[in-house]
Amino acid sequence: MILALILVFIICLILRFPIAFSLGLACLVYVLLKGLPLLIVPLKMYSGIDVFVLLSIPGFILAGNLMNHGGLTEKIIHFCNHLLGHIRGGLALANIGASMLFAGISGTAVADTASIGSVMIPAMKKEGYKVDFACAVTASSSTVGPIIPPSVPMIIAATLSGLSVGRLFLAGAIPGFMLGIGLMLVAYIISVRENYPKLQRSTLRQIGKGFIDTFWALLMTFIILFGIIGGVFTPTEASIIAVVYALLIGAFVYRKLTLRNIPVIILDSMKTSASLMVLVGFANLFGWILITERLPQAISEGILDFTQNKYLVLLLINILLIFVGTFMETIAALLILFRSF
Amino acid sequence: MKKINKVIGKILKYGTLISTLALIGTVLLQIFARFFLESAPSWTEEASRFLFIYAISFAAGLAMKQKYYVHLDLIFNKLSPKGQKWLEFLISALIVLLFGLFTFYAIQFVQLGHAEKSPSLAIRMSFAFGSMFIMGASITYFAWLETQKAFKKLRA
Repeated sequence: MILALILVFIICLILRFPIAFSLGLACLVYVLLKGLPLLIVPLKMYSGIDVFVLLSIPGFILAGNLMNHGGLTEKIIHFCNHLLGHIRGGLALANIGASMLFAGISGTAVADTASIGSVMIPAMKKEGYKVDFACAVTASSSTVGPIIPPSVPMIIAATLSGLSVGRLFLAGAIPGFMLGIGLMLVAYIISVRENYPKLQRSTLRQIGKGFIDTFWALLMTFIILFGIIGGVFTPTEASIIAVVYALLIGAFVYRKLTLRNIPVIILDSMKTSASLMVLVGFANLFGWILITERLPQAISEGILDFTQNKYLVLLLINILLIFVGTFMETIAALLILFRSF
Repeated sequence: MKKINKVIGKILKYGTLISTLALIGTVLLQIFARFFLESAPSWTEEASRFLFIYAISFAAGLAMKQKYYVHLDLIFNKLSPKGQKWLEFLISALIVLLFGLFTFYAIQFVQLGHAEKSPSLAIRMSFAFGSMFIMGASITYFAWLETQKAFKKLRA
């Protein structure tokens, strides 16, 4: 029965079904084969999304979109260009730097790729960078987004494991920064080898102005981070504070948000959030089935039968995570794997 | 048909906007009450959860209409044009089946909630569970339109 569940899921994924619906169809087949009442499908969907901390997801997505439409992305990119552009492969480095700064606002890798990539990939192409290199730099640097707080996957991980969201955020800050620096190093080595261009060195005045322009974005990250860690706000409250802050900055400081474009941004953010929440709901049912079938126990017994060495166990789990992460969407993988380990 | 589409689209759009703005307002009230009032109202957490689920349910159909659900392109581009058309038809038809059943059983779910009241707001849970019907029905509707479009393409 469990084999049917996993097979249907994989076949649907390969056949280009949306990931959320692949999970749903796999669960539907299992429920029908097992003769369970179909009422369980809407019931598990509801209980999967009826979690207070999940409210922060549309909040962070909306705040990121408001900041993006408020003109902040270009300001972040300009600042990073001024700061890093004079080094060989400067645009690639600025791309990574911008992703690191943008990570503090959006919380998802997809938002980072869409915002930074739409500006940086054409710019890099124009300057003579190979398109595959520009895309690879954008895609890999966007993965820093969910590691540097705020992070939507970390909120979900905290919800599933009972860990503190604030502590997980804090734990992600330094590794995220190190990952960004590591990516810059690799991009620099490739740029030197490929002789990619460097821009003219900016003056201190230009760098200073760029910093002032991005100051409001950096301040938002600090408000969110220290608000949650300091126990001033819950993650959900922090996300709504971020929305109000982004609205005020976009409307009154950058003057790009108007009464006409705000509803469009809200709708766009809610559609993105809805597509994630349908996935969360079906993954809740999928995870419940795995637990009912005692799959988590089977996996842990299998690993422990193979080795009792804690480092080897961690290594095996990480290999599995890399393998699953290559094919599966982050949130679905989190919801399913957290129940398995 | 175009008029029905427009009306459904508007209901979902305004439903999403109103629920989202009410959600933002409720959480702000919660923060304000905690800092500036003697006691924070107990209903804000429950109300914000209900508003969140409604906002998501209204937006889920719109997300279906505008193809927000993420998928992987593993073999699709390698198929012949005819194969691609068949696959598009199969995908939307199976989504109709999944969410058609979801919507049907969501009605039972709503009936189940009639006897139960929420702890803080004391409203019938059938009201909260009704969000699942909206989600299921709107996704089914837009998937059905996609199926019709895919079928026409297949016959062309």
